[in-house]
Amino acid sequence: MPQLNSVYRHREFQDLLTLTGYERAGGWNGLKATLEMTPDDALYAFHRSGLRGRGGAGFPMGRKASFLPVDSGRPTYVVCNADESEPGTFKDREILDKNPFQLIEGVAIASYGVGCERAYIYVRGEYGHQWDVLLRAIAECRAAGRLGPDAFGPGAPFDITLYRGAGAYICGEETALLESLEGKRGQPRLKPPYPAVAGLYDCPTLINNVETLAALPPIMHRGADWYSAIGPEKSPGTKIFSVSGHVLKPGNYEIVMGETTLRDLIFDLAGGLRDGREFKACWPGGSSVPVLTAEHLDTPLDYESLASAGSFLGSGGCIVMDDSGCIVRASWRLAHFYRHESCGKCTPCREGTGWLEKILGRIVHGDGRLEDLAMLESLFGRISGRTLCALADGAVAPVQSALELFRDDFERVIQQGGSPVPEPMGVINA
Amino acid sequence: MTAHEISEFLAPIRHEFADQRSLILPALRFAQEEQGWLPQGAMAAVAEATGYSQAYVESVASFYDRLYTEPVGRRVISVCTTLSCMLRGSDELLAHVAANIGTNGEGTSADGMFTLQRAECLGACDRAPCLQVDSNDQQGPLTHDAADAIIGALRADGAPTRYDR
Repeated sequence: MPQLNSVYRHREFQDLLTLTGYERAGGWNGLKATLEMTPDDALYAFHRSGLRGRGGAGFPMGRKASFLPVDSGRPTYVVCNADESEPGTFKDREILDKNPFQLIEGVAIASYGVGCERAYIYVRGEYGHQWDVLLRAIAECRAAGRLGPDAFGPGAPFDITLYRGAGAYICGEETALLESLEGKRGQPRLKPPYPAVAGLYDCPTLINNVETLAALPPIMHRGADWYSAIGPEKSPGTKIFSVSGHVLKPGNYEIVMGETTLRDLIFDLAGGLRDGREFKACWPGGSSVPVLTAEHLDTPLDYESLASAGSFLGSGGCIVMDDSGCIVRASWRLAHFYRHESCGKCTPCREGTGWLEKILGRIVHGDGRLEDLAMLESLFGRISGRTLCALADGAVAPVQSALELFRDDFERVIQQGGSPVPEPMGVINA
Repeated sequence: MTAHEISEFLAPIRHEFADQRSLILPALRFAQEEQGWLPQGAMAAVAEATGYSQAYVESVASFYDRLYTEPVGRRVISVCTTLSCMLRGSDELLAHVAANIGTNGEGTSADGMFTLQRAECLGACDRAPCLQVDSNDQQGPLTHDAADAIIGALRADGAPTRYDR
């Protein structure tokens, strides 16, 4: 069960919160190697590495970067999505907290590849502590000339602007993020055009997640071939999984893709469950993915395998529930989340997430009827796939899959007059 | 907060944005630092400093959970109640904090010291159940005694000199 701290290099080296400490640990070697290439060769290296977007969609990073037109006559932008808000996901937080320079270096590498002179890091509003860490890191880079008028060589400027959100899950959706960064309400745009063609200020824009960009420095230092040889051909590299819920050791684990199973992640790395408890369910890639059961535990953790199992790798936020939890109550809580975070732009999502929460709520509280299950089923297809962004699909996926896999539980809760309030787990890892 | 103060805050970063509209969110966040929320006067000042109408500025502010368009307590306590935290007792933690500060669930305490709100995933599921004071680092996993200790310390501290929410 191989672990490899390629992004989480702060777990291997001390003092990565200062520029000198980061340089002592081999920092900037990736950018140095990149600057010796032409931008085209850098893009080709991104592509050959096989790195896929770590924010949730898993789109090949190099391909995305290659979509940016080179002759648009307009500025090109790189935007780092640090709006980590997917339930169960806290992997980017640790990068921002502990290894901010690797992210900055990664943003610089991507920017050199696509010809960007000013990049933006959009940080979720609630991440006040992480914001302060990044501010200090950027200031240190500017003072040392790593950012500024000669960052990419004499007369070759590059700088990064930090931008802080103010509390909105939807701003993690790339076009909503761009709207927010442009000083607007964070509501998704109609696509196409995609950001690669018309993104920030209508200019060609590359948007990537924190983990994706922070993966670049080791790739460029050690070579795209090194990275592409790690793990399966279609899902190479390492991936950070955030494990939370009913496990004894919640936390972040960077693993080699494809060589660790869901069971290894939950029962070995994350310490397993409390004595006497059985595994009930898990949402392996954040909450916006179909739920999995005990029969899926031997699924290897990579994009293809999790998709074959009926779910998604998503953000890698793995939420685990043991048999003390109630799948109906859990589904209701997630439905509440999506109703609260729906931006309201598309009617199927605005109204549909409200209905999901309402129906599940009455089942949980003992007012459900068996006909409610048919009503839920009739709603899924009227919400999913009918909106501008994926929030609505994410709201439906966990509920629909729970109803398919645990229908008996839903029926029992209705017949028993509601879901009993669970016994608190207590603090077991204080 | 005056338009002049906001303009001075924006001056060093204006050149970083091709469209000055991008300054509205940083300006709103800065304006909120003074009182912890955004009264009409602060919205008007942001509008003047950025060159957009007050109606537009308010339409932006009203979209974001952490921009407060109504008065809130001197400290805002957010208890995360999304799934990972729920599985570890966040609902009980929320009820416990409410009992401590004397609110009936979410709301502002009678003395104006605290506003309690349930939050959607705060990105600290490894610390579940967790809470966040303003936008300070998320704290957890919390026993009820530990939550009491945090609240007690906040009471002793009083109001912060600047509000970062």
